Amino acid sequence: MFELIADPSFAASIPRFVTPILLAALGGALCERAGVFNIALEGFLLVGAFAAVLGAYFSGTPYIGALTAMVAGMALGLVFAEFNVRRGGDSIVVSIAINLLAAGLTTFFLRAIFDVTGAFSDPAIAGFAPIRLPFIEYVPLLGPILSGQALPFYLALLSVPFLHVFLARHRLGLRIRAAGENPQALRAGGVSPKRVQLLALIACGALCGLGGAQLSIANVNLFVENMSAGRGWIAVVAVLLTRGRPWPLFFIALLFGAVDSLSFRVQGLGLAQQFTDMMPYLATLIVLVALSWWRARRARGDAS
Amino acid sequence: MRIDLQDVTVRFGPVTAVDNVSLGIEPGEIHALLGENGAGKSTLMNALFGLVTPASGTIRLDGKARRWASPQDAIAHGLGMVHQHFMLQEEMTVLENIVLCAEPVGRFGFVDFARARSRLDEIAKTHGVAIDLDRRVGRLSVGERQAVEILKVLYREAEVLILDEPTAVLTPQEKDRLFATLKSFREAGKAIVLITHKLDEVMEIADRVSVMRAGRLVASSPLAETSKDEIARGIVGGDLPAARTRKALSPGETVLAVDHLTVARRGRDVGPVSFDLRAGEIVGIAGVSGNGQAELIRALTGLEPVRSGSITLCGNEIQKLDVEARRQGGMSYIPEDRQRMGLALRASVSENANAGRDDAGAFTAGPFLKHGAMAQYARSLIERYRIRVAGPRASASTMSGGNKQKLVVGRELSRNTPLVIAENPTWGVDIGAIDFIHGELMRMRDAGHAILLVSTELDEVIALSDRILVMYDGAIAGEVDGGEASRDRVGALMTSRAADALGAASPGAAA
Repeated sequence: MFELIADPSFAASIPRFVTPILLAALGGALCERAGVFNIALEGFLLVGAFAAVLGAYFSGTPYIGALTAMVAGMALGLVFAEFNVRRGGDSIVVSIAINLLAAGLTTFFLRAIFDVTGAFSDPAIAGFAPIRLPFIEYVPLLGPILSGQALPFYLALLSVPFLHVFLARHRLGLRIRAAGENPQALRAGGVSPKRVQLLALIACGALCGLGGAQLSIANVNLFVENMSAGRGWIAVVAVLLTRGRPWPLFFIALLFGAVDSLSFRVQGLGLAQQFTDMMPYLATLIVLVALSWWRARRARGDAS
Repeated sequence: MRIDLQDVTVRFGPVTAVDNVSLGIEPGEIHALLGENGAGKSTLMNALFGLVTPASGTIRLDGKARRWASPQDAIAHGLGMVHQHFMLQEEMTVLENIVLCAEPVGRFGFVDFARARSRLDEIAKTHGVAIDLDRRVGRLSVGERQAVEILKVLYREAEVLILDEPTAVLTPQEKDRLFATLKSFREAGKAIVLITHKLDEVMEIADRVSVMRAGRLVASSPLAETSKDEIARGIVGGDLPAARTRKALSPGETVLAVDHLTVARRGRDVGPVSFDLRAGEIVGIAGVSGNGQAELIRALTGLEPVRSGSITLCGNEIQKLDVEARRQGGMSYIPEDRQRMGLALRASVSENANAGRDDAGAFTAGPFLKHGAMAQYARSLIERYRIRVAGPRASASTMSGGNKQKLVVGRELSRNTPLVIAENPTWGVDIGAIDFIHGELMRMRDAGHAILLVSTELDEVIALSDRILVMYDGAIAGEVDGGEASRDRVGALMTSRAADALGAASPGAAA
């Protein structure tokens, strides 16, 4: 087991697992801060993954693939906004509907467009090539992690400080926070909280779409039914744990991504796959319990 | 800027909230707008501010007719409103709250906070409204929050300032500061509309007084040409009832006995507090808010656990019982916060009127509620307490503040329990309703109920109480007999100048 963790290729594989979780969680964070309870990140990721394959297959370039994924995510964000924000549907019901819709729709189009079931893999799917960063690639330990990754990873990394500053200092960031905390006050100021929430959902869709692209045209070059495999749900947990703050979110996503990556590798040790599949969720559960225990302790400390 | 409202009518469904009102607001003038709860003052101002759309009528600014699509239009044309319930983001800083929705933006839409800061420095210099811009609003006192609201309006360069009951939540010192600020606005030529219930404040500061009743404007004249009595008559639509004569105190058995009660609180515990309350008397608890009254009430009503000591209600120790058991044991409670504790706003008036009565035989048939009987009961409360509402089936949220309070008071008093705990029962309520609620409390006293009145309104405590306990810093600082109470004496105890108030007697000795 130690050999596995010490293996440099393990470290280098972490970003691949972190990226989809982090991007989906950042999108979810925007919704959370805007007061939209979006637990459809799983569906957003899955649609993104499918759309990325679609775009990359027909255009022959991964960039169009990623762009297609982002546009598809934004469209799904619009659907969410139409039913939840505009028509006032319950956010949990809308989320569940979108998650189910995403699973059904991708399976349907997989057959309708590519005429396959289960999985679609083709050499014509253009995947992202690793980007080698000059100088940084030779830094010990960090070099192999930071260098040689696909484009979505770097975009995810840049999104963390950007969203932090955006929420703190940008006009829309300020309004997103206001929409989440006291929408009545925002309305009294003459800004429609619903519009702000719509924009947050569209941005969330774009981020999740990019996260989906990482799954299907960067980690591998194929689409498999339900290939998001619970990563959207882990992102939801990360959002709720950090209350949508980008930096804490980054570290939680890092942890979950590392465990996800580890679970993949320990399959080689002859552990039952059912057990290794459980690992990311077990880690989520442990973090949940530890954090709530720590918060309760801190609250008691304040009171005395 | 001069504003003319012409024949403005606002309807909510079948209810006409504002009925054909015409009103002029002049620059450099403080214009007081008075009326009972539900008279239409706030609705009229909401129409002026673009929060509701009038069914008919015109709004003119400097002679030009305007229609607002949203409050943003009104703000852009120099109107500013400080709402009764503050419109603030508690998680944000003062600075963020002020610029929100009117952000000075630099490149790519990022907010230029430095520019905002220097503007606010200027405003602070001209009008004397200053506050630390980097503090989180959640940590500010009510008075400071109001200052943030006023800064928000000033920051938007408003020429017309509408304040909806700005003094209801302020301490006397904060009120004086607010009035000084308003006078400085008047000097600067701004027009100020002050919606209020407090006649004394109107006499102190207003230049012009308008009175609304039942959606209509019943009077509008310069302050110099009217009198306090005339305004009061305009508000209630007739003569004020004569001062109440109080029956001689004939206390009966002890209803409530509190013995060395302590309650946990951040910082320092509240207590130990000891006092008795007998049938047929009103005991008032006075004090500046935050001196332990809220904790004491929560401990008495069962909303918060007791740390030590005992509470005896009608001979039974109740400190370990839950809220329901205490209510069954003979306690009613009129909470201060009618919006959150007194009522379920989304439920109907009828459901609210019957809350806590789902065990009463008359309203239930087996496990089911009898809606007909409930509605009939609600109707009787509406009639008896003159609650202005569409009917028993209307949502509780459709009532105005004073009518909500009447419903809570009616529900609690009609339970006819030996003990009634009333916490700021007339907070934010108009004079007609205040008089009515006071009358009901007196009637309960005369009928032999024990009433614990906790209020931050000193005049209310003095007017009603047979005995007054003054709380200071979590303990009872002294007791004053109702007949001998004066503002000075109780006021001195409230600020812990106990020696001034009691002479040689030590604090708490009387308790």
